[in-house]
Amino acid sequence: MAQRTYEVMYIVDPETPAERIEKLNEAVGKVIEKEGGTVVRMDDIGRRQLAYPIEKKNEGHYVLFEIDGSGQEILELERRMRVNDMILRYITIRVDEDRKKADRLHEKRELRQAKRARFRATEETAETPAETAA
Amino acid sequence: MAENFDRPDRPERAEGEMDFSDEGFGDKAPRRYQRRRPRQVVPDYVDWKDVDLLRQFIPERGKIMPRRISGISAKDQRRIATAIKRARSMAMLPFVVD
Repeated sequence: MAQRTYEVMYIVDPETPAERIEKLNEAVGKVIEKEGGTVVRMDDIGRRQLAYPIEKKNEGHYVLFEIDGSGQEILELERRMRVNDMILRYITIRVDEDRKKADRLHEKRELRQAKRARFRATEETAETPAETAA
Repeated sequence: MAENFDRPDRPERAEGEMDFSDEGFGDKAPRRYQRRRPRQVVPDYVDWKDVDLLRQFIPERGKIMPRRISGISAKDQRRIATAIKRARSMAMLPFVVD
């Protein structure tokens, strides 16, 4: 099964008590593990001003999960988030491909820089005898 | 006309600041083509959660800055645009500011 990395972020109603949010986060972790995924990172970002009101609320409690898995757990997670009225909004982004691309870009840049440095080094050594002659 | 990438005749602008002075269509003189240098470097991985980075590409109105003004490559512009759209849907950035 293809292994993929996802970022799942959701906004919880800021009026829910802190312990319920914590419970919800735990439940999310459990669902992921039950469906065969692994939680790479769990980040409770906390309260944040919303850029526009959602359900007449101007603030939201943001939570971010980073998940490794096949996609099966995302299906289940999204189904549950959809029916949960504590969750104002959620988003799932697949990040592994973009990260791989970024890594390749980074590697290419480093290679190019190394090449350039080597070229400069040879140029300098070639220049020095010419300068002494002149 | 040879392209002058380093334009000493143009004042250096602060990051994020924009020049709309040559945007108007009322000018009678034909507008000369100017290659703009990108004002900001786009990282290899554009994180849709990095609001501070994305804000550099949205002027006060909240719209995505067009490529002719941002001056970044087409590829980078696409990546920035999708990231802004993702951030918008999670209320991290506004759709409109009025």
